[in-house]
Amino acid sequence: MPRVFITGLGFITSIGNDAASVTQSLRELRHGLELYPPFQTPEVPVKVAAPVRGFNTTSTDAEDWTFPPGILIKRELLRGMSPHVVYAWCAMQQAIADAKLGEADVSNDATGLYAASGGSPYLMGHMLERMHKLGVMRCSPLGIVASISGAVQFNLVAHFKIKGSSCGFASACASSSHALGFAYDDLALGRQKRMFVVGAEDGNMDAILPFAGMRALSLSTDPATASRPFDTARDGFVGTGGGVVLVLETEDEVLRRGVTPYCEVMGWGQSSDGHNVAISHPEGLGLRAAMTNALRSTGTAPEAIDYINAHATSTPIGDASEARALRAIFQPSGARPAISSTKALTGHGLSLAGAMESGFCALAVRDGFMPGSAHINQLDPECEGLNIIRTTVSQQPKFALNNVSGFGGANVSIVFKQVR
Amino acid sequence: MPDAATPNPGNAKPFLAAPKPFAPEDEASLREALKRCSPSAFESAVQYRKTGNPEHVPAVVIGIIERFVEPDLRIKLKDADDDLRLIEDLGIDSLTMMEIVILVEDVLQMSINNDELRNLRTVGDVKMFIDCKIRGLALPKPTKFLPIEQIAAVMPIQPPFLFLNEASVSSSGANGKYKISGQELFLQGHFKNNPVMPASIMLEALGQLAVLFLLEGATPEPGKVISSSMIYFTGCEGVRAHRVCRPGDILTLSIKPKRMKMPLATFEGAIRVGQEKAAIAEEITLTFGYAEAVVPPPAPAAVEVNGAATIKPTTPSTTPLRAAASA
Repeated sequence: MPRVFITGLGFITSIGNDAASVTQSLRELRHGLELYPPFQTPEVPVKVAAPVRGFNTTSTDAEDWTFPPGILIKRELLRGMSPHVVYAWCAMQQAIADAKLGEADVSNDATGLYAASGGSPYLMGHMLERMHKLGVMRCSPLGIVASISGAVQFNLVAHFKIKGSSCGFASACASSSHALGFAYDDLALGRQKRMFVVGAEDGNMDAILPFAGMRALSLSTDPATASRPFDTARDGFVGTGGGVVLVLETEDEVLRRGVTPYCEVMGWGQSSDGHNVAISHPEGLGLRAAMTNALRSTGTAPEAIDYINAHATSTPIGDASEARALRAIFQPSGARPAISSTKALTGHGLSLAGAMESGFCALAVRDGFMPGSAHINQLDPECEGLNIIRTTVSQQPKFALNNVSGFGGANVSIVFKQVR
Repeated sequence: MPDAATPNPGNAKPFLAAPKPFAPEDEASLREALKRCSPSAFESAVQYRKTGNPEHVPAVVIGIIERFVEPDLRIKLKDADDDLRLIEDLGIDSLTMMEIVILVEDVLQMSINNDELRNLRTVGDVKMFIDCKIRGLALPKPTKFLPIEQIAAVMPIQPPFLFLNEASVSSSGANGKYKISGQELFLQGHFKNNPVMPASIMLEALGQLAVLFLLEGATPEPGKVISSSMIYFTGCEGVRAHRVCRPGDILTLSIKPKRMKMPLATFEGAIRVGQEKAAIAEEITLTFGYAEAVVPPPAPAAVEVNGAATIKPTTPSTTPLRAAASA
């Protein structure tokens, strides 16, 4: 089977709008959380979010939006976009440049794109309101394209002239890891030579606040500690948005083009809790099975794993469930991989999470560091025996593992390996 | 805006332009709707909404179209004639057309059906369409686009003496294109070692476009059909050639009817190559006659059923005609 490598990355995130600033934030544990202006009203109990910086997409009219200097999107493209599509479009351009891909490398039968996003509740809401108020025929002609959950791949596939496989994945917070996993499969099975993997979320009020109803959001008013996975006092996640793109290529393509990959994607595993529509299995059975499958399919022993980027979103139930799953997998062999949740810095990116944190793993493996798990004041006793690193360790992980879990109990684990 | 959401049942029902009292909040929402349009478009919209005077409408429509055209193409709209094409010249696709329609509906408080849009190909079509809607007039026949096969099928003139590659015919005139291929037989002798399109042939091409207008455009008398075998040239006035045209040049021809009264039809015509004036004819006059066979018999019901009468039975583009066209 062809080996698969990550050769390019693009980031629009709450902790940086390019790989260099993201790396610096991860190394120095700089978070992207703030008192989010739209939340600072008495009716909103949630105060902290982690928005991307430099973009203003508060208007429902895309032509009002402003972007960081140097980013120009023509109206005919913009009209089919929502905020997360704009972020993904920017990340896509970074990833293409980073991987040194020419136009012909991007647009051909053997290059595809898999993506994940929750769509744009914001623009969908605006469009439906318009429909109810002004009549069916007054909806923007591209309102649907811009707002349903496939918006990100509709736009990117069309604008970047993608000719290979394309589709979207909808497993909530596991979505973009599913996209990465199935992109790996397409490459390993020889169906494609190159795949773009995209995760994106609006990360604005309408994307984040509905989670308050299930009491999943942190009510903290302190951006410096609101997101604190594995801490005993954690009280929910902090929402974020953005766009991340990874370029996956087969070994043949890497050699033909003469590029240096970030890391190898060894393979992946998934499993489902079969337990509850929104709550993780208390023992983390599904995530445990996903890690087991990932390790088995890649022929990796638990003790070979050096770094784990945990899903831990800073919710009381979810983090404990993952801690139990990690203990079950690693403690029997006495393995003590370094574990951290970078969501302490970024907030939780929902559909974006898997792609974003896989990107972080690629940076860590290439650049030789393991980002710390920030904001832990008192470690949850559930984590006893786990090597949860609270500061960044300047050591190159040879094998890294990324976990995600989504609604419905969907779990995905992906194994990355250092390139020699 | 309750009436904005009311569907307009049927194309033929005229829009009633009786304006509601124009309130300050209407002006505010109009300003918001037209915030990316020129100030003159906004002013014209306010005037129209206050007075219901359709003379203000073209400025609104042009202003709205301009707002949806890429900035580098907007210059084309500045001194556009009505033949400027929405898709080919302005890069407006069908989705952008929908955006234009939604804004026009909103601003002019009217309702436009999908099937009314299909035939709008030029800026002139759009202006005419909106104007007819507002005045409650019947919509004009849509511009008809004819490729060479269809031109050859209806014209009495045939290759190698047919000097039209494509044409469009509307109720107000006709436009055509002819590319000088260099293979035209007469160019061997006009001139020796120096092929130049004869001005007489350029005049002939304009005449042919006028013939096509008589056959495919509006008939001077309703219910009568002009016979293709009874059209002849009678005279021309004020013909001037401005530019030498050679193989490779694409002649853009246009004619407009000036007077039409059986048996004479007089047109003005012009030829351009790109933006350069190539030739003009102040008047070209043709004589024509009606086909006798189509004088309506006492019981014309058979032709009228199912509304199919609007579809004129066209000569099928048979193999011999195609062969002739490509000969």
